[in-house]
Amino acid sequence: MNRRTLIATAAAIGATMAAPAFAQDWPTRPLTMVIGFAPGGSTDIQGRVLANVMEEFLGQPVNVVNQPGGGSAVAFTRLKNTAADGYTFLFGGTTALTFTPIITPVEYEIDDFEYLAAVALGQNAIVTSAEQPFETFDEIIAHGKENQMTYAQQTPLDEAIIRAIAEEEGLDLAIVPTGGGGGMAPLVLGREVDFAYSGGTHAQYTPTGEMVVAAFMSAERSPFYPDTPTLMELGYDYSIEDYRTVIVPQGVPDEVKARLMEAAEYASESQAFKDITEGNTFFPVVYIGQEEMEASVRRIRAATEEVMGSN
Amino acid sequence: MDFSAVGAAASEAFTLASFIGIGGGVLLGYIVGVIPGLSRSVAISIAIPLTFYMSPFIAISFLIGLSKGTAAGSAVSAILLNAPGEASSAATALDGYPMAKKGKPKTALQVGLLASVIGDILATIILIFVAIPFARVALLFGPYEMAAILAFALVFIAGLSGGSIFKGLAAGGLGIFLGTVGLDNQTGLPRLTFGYTELMDGMPLIAVAIGTLALSEMFVQSEKLRYDRAGMSVELKNDRSDHITWPLFRSIIPTVLRGTGVGTFVGALPGLGPSVGSFMSYGMTVKASKDPESFGKGNPKGIAASESADNAVIPAALIPLFGLGIPGNVSAALLIGAFAIHGITVGPLLLRDNPELLYSIFAGMILASLIMLALGWFGLMIFAQITKVPPHVVIPIVIFFCLAGMMLQGYGTFGLVILIAFAALGYLMKKYDYSFVTFLVAFIITPMLELNLRQSIILSRGNWEILLNRPIALFFIVCTLVALVALAVRTFKTGKPVANAPAD
Repeated sequence: MNRRTLIATAAAIGATMAAPAFAQDWPTRPLTMVIGFAPGGSTDIQGRVLANVMEEFLGQPVNVVNQPGGGSAVAFTRLKNTAADGYTFLFGGTTALTFTPIITPVEYEIDDFEYLAAVALGQNAIVTSAEQPFETFDEIIAHGKENQMTYAQQTPLDEAIIRAIAEEEGLDLAIVPTGGGGGMAPLVLGREVDFAYSGGTHAQYTPTGEMVVAAFMSAERSPFYPDTPTLMELGYDYSIEDYRTVIVPQGVPDEVKARLMEAAEYASESQAFKDITEGNTFFPVVYIGQEEMEASVRRIRAATEEVMGSN
Repeated sequence: MDFSAVGAAASEAFTLASFIGIGGGVLLGYIVGVIPGLSRSVAISIAIPLTFYMSPFIAISFLIGLSKGTAAGSAVSAILLNAPGEASSAATALDGYPMAKKGKPKTALQVGLLASVIGDILATIILIFVAIPFARVALLFGPYEMAAILAFALVFIAGLSGGSIFKGLAAGGLGIFLGTVGLDNQTGLPRLTFGYTELMDGMPLIAVAIGTLALSEMFVQSEKLRYDRAGMSVELKNDRSDHITWPLFRSIIPTVLRGTGVGTFVGALPGLGPSVGSFMSYGMTVKASKDPESFGKGNPKGIAASESADNAVIPAALIPLFGLGIPGNVSAALLIGAFAIHGITVGPLLLRDNPELLYSIFAGMILASLIMLALGWFGLMIFAQITKVPPHVVIPIVIFFCLAGMMLQGYGTFGLVILIAFAALGYLMKKYDYSFVTFLVAFIITPMLELNLRQSIILSRGNWEILLNRPIALFFIVCTLVALVALAVRTFKTGKPVANAPAD
């Protein structure tokens, strides 16, 4: 090593140690995005595109790691125990925090994490087959007052809501489990069940005219089905809200959080992310900052506890 | 069929880039298949990011080629090492390994390869012609039919296990018991998880499969090594008489056709995987044979039955995927993600929106089969070199791949603990002649059976008469009962199971 390189090295070390330059320098090594579901689902699809776009912005690879189990409960348990340096973050829905802890003992709580930014809105809907004699949610209820009916659930939460509505309306309803959107579709299309819950699978079947969305369980109407009302609009005081969010463990330095939020915001404006998320999974792309998300997660949790408690 | 689209598709399918892409996929798959413990779904999940920079057609064909390659490659280690590269080739080892031991390793490999390729091509052709009309037929298979078929598969496969019926029941019962671990499907409440978040989705299938199949086999082999230095792997000699002959090839054709039929049927039904297909085909071949005693001792028909069905499942699993958008198994589910990354929604819309892409994929799949034949035939000796490596080198490497494969699944240390526990269980089962195959199949089938059975009972509101309107379900229920009675009668009469397929 000659003198010139020695000086250059010293200068470089000096530069890295200079604190104000930090924000622009981070990250200095590859990042890991944890997805709490198996490859192939809507969270995984959105997450992989998001990782690509964030990589563009941050200048370091963002590797996607799938940690399936318990509707993301496994991934959250792990995330809680990783170093809070921002290099490992989770992308996914918030139901593992707003709903799962109510019915299942888990080792994490809402306060163990920070909710940096939501980039897509979950789409929870009630669907039925186009070949059924009913189409809207009101028609389903009317049909159910005359006939025995069947409903396919995917989570205890949607079951609790539908059970409450069935009781209010005096329906004779049998509720079956499906084990996910992949299992729901053949039951609905084969008319084994009269109506069902869909967490987003309907995006594949409504364009063909095989499936009809009777009502949305989310708080607001979907921009992709502007004529379909929500349960709230129909006079039922229930909703399931879900935000696809970038989540880090509590205690990540502020500068790092700021960089991740910038990257998420950049992604929410990127055409590639919009094309896949809106065009293929029919999830509206948004950008909701940390302050609002922290409040939303806690508000949804309280509301969900009320619904589950009433059953 | 839209012929201008077919023409355009063919011209896109046969370019240099696609040859390299598909050939690379098949080669990679073949290598993954040969290595026990590195599974197909692991390989596909790792390979998906590699396809980001390929065109959608090449990306999908690459991944399908990879799947096909693993199914063919897994026969190599099943035959030469008695350690199936994929769980679905476990049935291949039953006759492949004894045949190789008897000095016909090359013939066994060639039978396996030809059966794989024929099963593959035929199932691909069936896929091309039935994928679209299938959408209607598949809807006839509701929860009643699925529950009946799964119950039949469980009893049928249990009937193939070696040893006494009581040991078979014990192994199957343990599989069913462990298959119920995890969150309840409907209430979401944990069952038998003992507070471990990791068990919420049940015992990880990959850990159970690698543990009982591959890792426990390494324990068995290392124990043998202490007494038998000659080793576990079969040496490939330059024996000129050791190659497939025309009469032999002709004699396995009916078996291959049956295997393809079974594999296609099993693959097309969502939820059943290639392991169910290869074992069902093997069982049917043993039953149809005039000489059932020769199976398990190196009958080439056993290899042909298992391998043709194993490979037929791969294209057949795409029938519900392209027809309905429902994956037939885990690897098909991974393909949905790969499609989505390239901005394509798989399902009935694909034909309408992207006919050229769909036909190119079909052309690419045929190309993949042909590349597989060439690669397998001429590369046979090269791939088989792994078996020239002495066992004391192979065993640690395979153990490493088993552990690494587990880590790649993202289950962490917990996964390793489960893996080793199941390896120990598998070792004891092998040692005391309990059928680990019955155990594994029961474990895999239980969650699906439970879900479909529950759905059937709730939907029927407990009314049995509903079955009279479901002839397909009724047929399989009768088959299940007949198989059960036959199994019991034969066991008590002769003290032997219906078909004797020794585990070793």
